[in-house]
Amino acid sequence: MNLIKTFQKYMRQEWLLLILLGVLLLVAMGFEPNFLKAKSQLKLSENIWELAILCLPMTLIIITGGIDLSIGSTMALATVAFGMGFEANWPLWACALAALLASLAAGAVNGALIAGIKVHPLIVTLATLAAYRGIAEGLSKGFSVSPLPESFQALSGSFLGAPIAAWIFIVLAIVFYLFLAHTPWGRFCHAIGHNEQVCRFSGAPTSKIIFSLYVVSAGLAGIAALLYSARRNTANPEAGYNMELDVITAVVIGGTSIYGGRGTIYGTLIGIVLIHEMREFFNWRWSSDELNLIVVGSLLIGSVLFYQLMAPKGKETK
Amino acid sequence: MSTLVEINNIDKRFGGVHALKAVTFTIDTGEIHSLCGENGAGKSTLIKILCGAYIPNEGSITIDGRELPYGNVPGVGQLGVAVIHQESTAFLDLNAIDNVFIGRELRTSWGALNRKAMARETRELLARLQESLDIYKPLSQMTVAQRQMVTMARALAQKCKLLIMDEPTASLSKRETDVLFDNIARLKAGGVSILYVSHRMEEIFQLSDRVTVFRDGEHVGTEPIGNVDTQKVIQMMVGREVAEFTKRHEHKAHQGATALALDNLTSRPAFENISFEVKAGEIVGMAGLVGSGRSEIARAVFGIDNYQSGVIRVLGKAQRKGNVRDAMAAGIAMVPEDRQHEGLLLPLTVSANISMAVLQNLLCGPFLSKKKEGALAQEYIEELSIRTGSAHAVTSTLSGGNQQKVVIGKWLATQPRILILDEPTRGVDVGAKAEMYRIIRELAEKGVAIWVISSDMPEILHISDRILVMCEGRLKGELEGKSATQEDVMRLALPDLSEEGAILA
Amino acid sequence: MRKFILPLIQRREIGLIILIVLLTGVTAYINPSFLAVSNLMQILNNCAPVALISCGVMLVIVTAEIDISVGSLTGLLSAFIALLMSREQLGWNPFLVMLIILFLGALMGTVTGLLVTIGKVPSIIVTLGLLTALRGAAIKVLGGKTIKDYPESFRYLGTESLLGVPISVWIAIAAIAFTAWLIRWTRLGRRLYALGSNPQSAILLGLNERALKCFTFAFTGFLTAVATILIVAKLGNVEAAIGKGDELLIVTCVVVGGVSISGGRGQLAGVMLAVFLMVMIRTNLTYLQLGPEATKWERAIQGLFILAAVILDHVASHAKPAESEA
Repeated sequence: MNLIKTFQKYMRQEWLLLILLGVLLLVAMGFEPNFLKAKSQLKLSENIWELAILCLPMTLIIITGGIDLSIGSTMALATVAFGMGFEANWPLWACALAALLASLAAGAVNGALIAGIKVHPLIVTLATLAAYRGIAEGLSKGFSVSPLPESFQALSGSFLGAPIAAWIFIVLAIVFYLFLAHTPWGRFCHAIGHNEQVCRFSGAPTSKIIFSLYVVSAGLAGIAALLYSARRNTANPEAGYNMELDVITAVVIGGTSIYGGRGTIYGTLIGIVLIHEMREFFNWRWSSDELNLIVVGSLLIGSVLFYQLMAPKGKETK
Repeated sequence: MSTLVEINNIDKRFGGVHALKAVTFTIDTGEIHSLCGENGAGKSTLIKILCGAYIPNEGSITIDGRELPYGNVPGVGQLGVAVIHQESTAFLDLNAIDNVFIGRELRTSWGALNRKAMARETRELLARLQESLDIYKPLSQMTVAQRQMVTMARALAQKCKLLIMDEPTASLSKRETDVLFDNIARLKAGGVSILYVSHRMEEIFQLSDRVTVFRDGEHVGTEPIGNVDTQKVIQMMVGREVAEFTKRHEHKAHQGATALALDNLTSRPAFENISFEVKAGEIVGMAGLVGSGRSEIARAVFGIDNYQSGVIRVLGKAQRKGNVRDAMAAGIAMVPEDRQHEGLLLPLTVSANISMAVLQNLLCGPFLSKKKEGALAQEYIEELSIRTGSAHAVTSTLSGGNQQKVVIGKWLATQPRILILDEPTRGVDVGAKAEMYRIIRELAEKGVAIWVISSDMPEILHISDRILVMCEGRLKGELEGKSATQEDVMRLALPDLSEEGAILA
Repeated sequence: MRKFILPLIQRREIGLIILIVLLTGVTAYINPSFLAVSNLMQILNNCAPVALISCGVMLVIVTAEIDISVGSLTGLLSAFIALLMSREQLGWNPFLVMLIILFLGALMGTVTGLLVTIGKVPSIIVTLGLLTALRGAAIKVLGGKTIKDYPESFRYLGTESLLGVPISVWIAIAAIAFTAWLIRWTRLGRRLYALGSNPQSAILLGLNERALKCFTFAFTGFLTAVATILIVAKLGNVEAAIGKGDELLIVTCVVVGGVSISGGRGQLAGVMLAVFLMVMIRTNLTYLQLGPEATKWERAIQGLFILAAVILDHVASHAKPAESEA
């Protein structure tokens, strides 16, 4: 009994996740000694960065009590905008700009509906999830553009021994961390998650903050779309399919409360690493994609369940 | 009279907190029994035990000689105990029938709902309360008073013997309150006992047969109402003489320039052609019935709501419409009516709440300085003597009065020139009230223009230099704070003079 | 007169009917063959599985929870049907297999409900996790194959008609009637609305929150199993992608149908009309003769329509209080 109480007192979901991660890595090392080597890890990390980048704004959005289900479709929209520009023989920078503008516009629509006319974010982004993907399919008529020029594929290359995408992520992660933990707007994000009205009555520009979050989320989806296209050497409307679910899973596993108000960037980082390592290990050992789905889904439920059962009563409220 | 409820040595602990200490008293059949005490005195705990939500650690409660099934809400209901809670416990999306019958629906012999019988019975119950409303309309489309009638109908339907009412008049207008009191009298005549919990002394004296006072979880005494007066009851509640409340506040009128001026402000249907001024160093009280448009004016001035026409001037400068940040920049601060939903973030720390409105002043480069934030919080914790473990305590652990001080601290931190207080002492106990008045007076002496909205008549009379009275969206009159009486204010606040006779009598 | 008309306009059902009539009119004008009875039956047949699952999800949303795992549950259950019933596989008795599937559906729903109520995991998290995990399980069970060859007696459920109306439509009608009865004429139904409307009071009145919520999830699981049986019987083959994306369509139908996402409010009639409208939009696109290009725009049109519906709904429902006060 005392043990449980002590446990509850010092337990934070982040610690639990770190322990879980440690156990996983130990097991992995036992089974597959090569798995943990830096070289293999670097190789495995190739396809995590888009997801990781999108987790950052999603953490903020979920902290404010919102959700963005449309990021995967926004990626598709950006990819198609890029591909269309490319087909029309635009210069590469103009194609990239088109992709970014398309994604920012998508984010502005989300933001305007959510912050402006106050429709529930789940409903708005559920609708735009379908709409953006549909527009991407319609514009591209379902075809992908491939191959892309060498100069663009350079985006998937390395810089100082790490992928460029990784550097982008690291810079963004630091910016998001400082923003959330050490600026007034970051404080307001938590406050909005608890009670938007109090925030507004305190003079916080709540609508502006919420609007910006959805625009930033979409903008980063645009960047993720470029990274994705460069890596795959193709611009197709299937980009980012189901991305939103993976991203939300990582963020929630990282300890962000789906009801808003609670969450940290470092928690999300641990969530990303945990999901990534678990996936890659299962892939490495059993080379099976479907096992991954099962494991990630169960991990999401299991981690929150464990936290809820262990947390002191009344800590998680609606 | 026979005894209906016997409360015997009830003891309740929550962890280290001793909420009720061996409480013993009785309630007679057909009696209106008032229960008083400051916040945290144990009233709510007792109510929750009586309605079956909590299980007492020791002691017993019997109703008609039968022991209460502790912790079993439906079981308690069957014994004839019904509760009308302070917050609305009605189902706003459901209609009156469902609200009356949910949890104990009538069924036909083959198991389906007997909708006809339920509709008929609901109509009858409401007729007993002299209320005729559309029973198929969802409660969300009714007034607060109508919802309360539905809740009372529910209590009647349960054939209740003991009806517990927890601050039922908190958000009712005077007229609605009178209708409620008529109904309480009718219930009493029908042999129902009522346990009436309220902070409002005049109601307690108007209604009750006996009054029981709690202090710090202890039963101080139970007296027939004829044996005590307001002074005595307050003294029992706080354990000392409180002179504050009868003495009129003598304000040294060193008033300055006009700080806030409203010119023909209109926002139909809430209010129309409102013009008044508040000078620096002046305390202006605004009285009126609930729903007379007072809070709406305050919200418009603070930039929360828009308005149709008119001008708001701060120190002579016209303000932009509907912009909180502009209002704050002009030096306006508002302590809103609903502390929990509009004023505070209960899960955050005291210091986070105090610094909420002035974060931009606590920067160090682009980042928040924890040091400056802590210093600011400490300053206001000391200035307002907020009782909290530390600046980093979670706000929800504070008492109501101290939470209210945190809200005031949050707004004082913005260094306001004009402070609007909407119901500053609602749900605050007597001791904390006196302190709140002291704080308000000190602010006025420092030259802050203060505009207090309150439904608490003694409070308005006690604190104001000038009293504005609102009635149905219009400014009906202005009274001198020193000489005004409750009757003067009431006469202006009531909508139709021809109907008021009964109410003032 | 005004007093009589206003509530009518504010009713969600009226708006949906107007939209359906408009859409029918436009399509029939462009392509008169749209009005054929057989086509109507086709649309209804397509509606059946969506309508079935929507009945369940609606009740879940009425209690202020959500279930977005139904599409993946369809996938997993169809994989089980394939494995157990197909003559290429185990070839069990179809009747027995159906019983097992119905049981599994209800069981899965109950587990979801228990995780939400006893485990206190938010339903969006539980069902999001299941959305992923169950799809993985479906792929695992099928092992990448497409499984065909089911007994004729089973296929009849999806292909045959009774009195000119497809059997699956009859089954859906039965389920809708049952749900309508449940909502209007039973204690359970009223209590679900009470729970969604004001959970604290509902619990204080002694309503059993856990049992009520578990029921809605189990009911959804059961109806999903029924829908899966109809889908497989109609298609005649099972692959791992069955039901993919259905959860979004269904939640959309429920919301467009006027059920409040925060619980306590919404009518079954509205939801069913929304189901009909959504399925009709999909079907109509082929009748509008917009050419092969148009099919590529199908999802965009659907998506934009959903977006428009959501915005209109929001604007309409927020205009209400002002009108009732005036």
